[in-house]
Amino acid sequence: MDAPTRETRCFHCGTALAAGSGCSVRVDGIARPVCCAGCAAAVELILSQGLSRYYEFRAQPAPRAAGAGRDWTAFDREAALRRYTHERADGERELSMQIEGLHCAACAWLIENSLVRAAGVRQVSVNPASARAELRYDPGRTTLSQLLGAIHALGFVPLPLSFSGGPAAETSERRAALTRLGVAGLGMMQVTTYTVSLYAGLMQGIAPEIEQFLRFVSLLVATPVVLYAAQPFFRSAWRSLRAGRPGMDVPVALSIGAAYAWSVVATLRGRGAVYFDSVVMFTFFLLLGRYVEMALRHRAGLRHDALARLLPVSVLRLNGVRAERVTPDELAAGDRLRVLPGERVAADGRIASGRTEVDESLLTGESAAQPRGVGDRLVAGTLNLTGAVEMTVTRVGQDSSLAAVSRLLERAQSSRPRTADLADRVAAWFVTGVLLLAVAVGLYWLHADASRAFPTVLAVLVVTCPCALSLATPAALAAATARLARAGVLVTRGRALERLAGADCVVFDKTGTLTRGEPRIESVTVLGERLPAARCLELAAALESHSSHPLARAFAALPPGPAVSGVAAVAGSGVEGLIEGTRYRIGRLGYVLGLGTAAAAPAAEGDATSVVLGDGAGLLATFRLADALRADARATLARLGELGLRAQIASGDRPGPVQAAAQALGGIAAHAGLGAADKLSHVRALHAAGHRVVMVGDGVNDAPVLAAADVSVAIGAGTDLARVNADLVLLGEGLGGLVGAVETSRRLLRVIRENLGWALLYNLTAVPLAACGWIEPWMAVIGMSASSLLVVLNAMRLLGGRPCT
Amino acid sequence: MHVIYLLIPLGIALLVLSVFGFLWAVRSGQFDDLDSPGLQILLDDDRAPPPAPPDVRDA
Repeated sequence: MDAPTRETRCFHCGTALAAGSGCSVRVDGIARPVCCAGCAAAVELILSQGLSRYYEFRAQPAPRAAGAGRDWTAFDREAALRRYTHERADGERELSMQIEGLHCAACAWLIENSLVRAAGVRQVSVNPASARAELRYDPGRTTLSQLLGAIHALGFVPLPLSFSGGPAAETSERRAALTRLGVAGLGMMQVTTYTVSLYAGLMQGIAPEIEQFLRFVSLLVATPVVLYAAQPFFRSAWRSLRAGRPGMDVPVALSIGAAYAWSVVATLRGRGAVYFDSVVMFTFFLLLGRYVEMALRHRAGLRHDALARLLPVSVLRLNGVRAERVTPDELAAGDRLRVLPGERVAADGRIASGRTEVDESLLTGESAAQPRGVGDRLVAGTLNLTGAVEMTVTRVGQDSSLAAVSRLLERAQSSRPRTADLADRVAAWFVTGVLLLAVAVGLYWLHADASRAFPTVLAVLVVTCPCALSLATPAALAAATARLARAGVLVTRGRALERLAGADCVVFDKTGTLTRGEPRIESVTVLGERLPAARCLELAAALESHSSHPLARAFAALPPGPAVSGVAAVAGSGVEGLIEGTRYRIGRLGYVLGLGTAAAAPAAEGDATSVVLGDGAGLLATFRLADALRADARATLARLGELGLRAQIASGDRPGPVQAAAQALGGIAAHAGLGAADKLSHVRALHAAGHRVVMVGDGVNDAPVLAAADVSVAIGAGTDLARVNADLVLLGEGLGGLVGAVETSRRLLRVIRENLGWALLYNLTAVPLAACGWIEPWMAVIGMSASSLLVVLNAMRLLGGRPCT
Repeated sequence: MHVIYLLIPLGIALLVLSVFGFLWAVRSGQFDDLDSPGLQILLDDDRAPPPAPPDVRDA
């Protein structure tokens, strides 16, 4: 179980490869290693289209290309076309889709340029920020399934979205916010210029009619800023007041509204001070803060609609004797489906005929294949491994057990944000305090010096604006998020980084997290000394290339062996074939022994991860297969230990492999055979013992556990539901990003503390000064803005510094 | 100083123009994706594409 001695990486997807493991492609005359046939095909496709520059400019490795093999023809059916596409007046169709595996601008460029060359494509635009593509094509010259297949061949997974028309909600929100920001910013530039002239006039003298003119002009420019750009503050203040819980926006709306109204009256009467400059500056800086926060929120919610991704894109529905490809949306209870080996089950149901083995590891964590026969239950999202079966659908969509898992997950998530609730309550107290203070200050000044009362109250309201306070955290989070994104760690919930900094315990799932999630050949034992080990491997590779069993993937990295004829695969047992005149079998012990008469049983009966090769004269070799640890697992755990995080394993797998992995990783604590509920209680027990838990996993069965942990981390190569519901996603293969994330989160916490400390210090010193009437409103605005700027600049420090590992 | 009665309205006219320009830019999606256009100029290949690109449908 040692890590490969010389590490190489797949040219296309960046998967770590053992040295000299076979496949390679020639790029610009240099042989480059690739991990599998799918990636090799993707590289060749990209090169043949003259798009090789993709490899020079991409920021991250591409997703692993699954190659051809998905059938997209269900999307050519009339029902699917109606659901996903829109027919334009000129007969062309348009649709939008989410693209999975799209990480950087180079990926978007690759898809655009590859599709534009396909026949019948009229227009294609891919937005890497939202991972969405808009496509317009001519149905007379191509079909939707061909286009989807073309995207899939590049290694990305297109997920057509139900056609809604118009831009997505997020896009329109961002556009509206940007428009407001622009209006406020342009208005601010103008009004500030007029105000500077007015102040110069105060000092040097100014003709009264010019002063009045400048005030009217300021009013003219400030009006759209207040009425249009500042609208969100008034709305949100009104909402929070109606709910009886005054929020941060109440003093904001009050100061903008009051200062504007006062200035308008002063302008019309031609007497008294005007505060148009303060009003527009205040609006602009607040909007800027909100915009930064919104950008962060959008990044966080990028990926949704996760449940649908575990289902196959199409299923074979039987209509009497005819079979047709349909999309899973069209299924109803009682339908009869045919599920081929290698396909995922689209709905809950029972097997009506045939027998097979299935992989339910997504739902139960059990990594060994489960046999299923007539009458047995099949669960949506399960992978069918060995045999073709027919099933009767019992439950679809929201009734299925996959949907139940996702509801469990939602519940686990919704019980968490107690801190957010606390922040709201604190804000309500803070705001009430500020309003009371402003009223008290106003009453005092009305008695002492009525002409100073309004500017003083305004200064108090502006100075106490929780701007720096409310920017302190989001700005630092945005910077940390951006830095981690560059290091290949996607942060989906910013708040999780704060919790990550304080974590002291990391719980790893095993399969697919600490390990690669696919079998590799660990050792070859030659039996009977009749053939050398190299020849046995050759024969095994040749035979297994005809098997679709997941264990066969262990042999795929070997060079293809000699030609095989007369192949017969027996589901759940093995493969038989004729090579150079001799009949060989590979698979389970009993099956292989069935070929010959000499039954020299090996000393030890292999477990589920042993495969035996034999011929008519007896057994030839035993291959021990194991799920190898990730190359950087050991180093990552060591670094985490240095940072004070204790690691342990909680796996649904059998005790044997789990203990072996724990030993290889330096004898960390390991818990085997845990189902989803056991894992959940395990994490809760750690909580109860006072630990702050980071959970690293990849499967759907992990999703509720992930949600229960303080911080959840998913491996990007893992399944998609976990990806969406984790706080952090490690993109690409490997665990190394976790160390960088912990380090960044600790620096983040320090910056947040500095920011909050500064904002508090500023407020505590400025409020008494403002209440004493020593601060003019414009000074308050500049002080408030400078304070916010300082906070943002401090947060920017997170972007630089030592690179993440 | 009476020249400001001309210059300030001119400035406001420019302001209105730039606000509408900005509105147009936002609505036409110029700010939706700020990452890839910068890269496009680097990626757009100066070399001629291969003579006959293979049909993507076969892939």
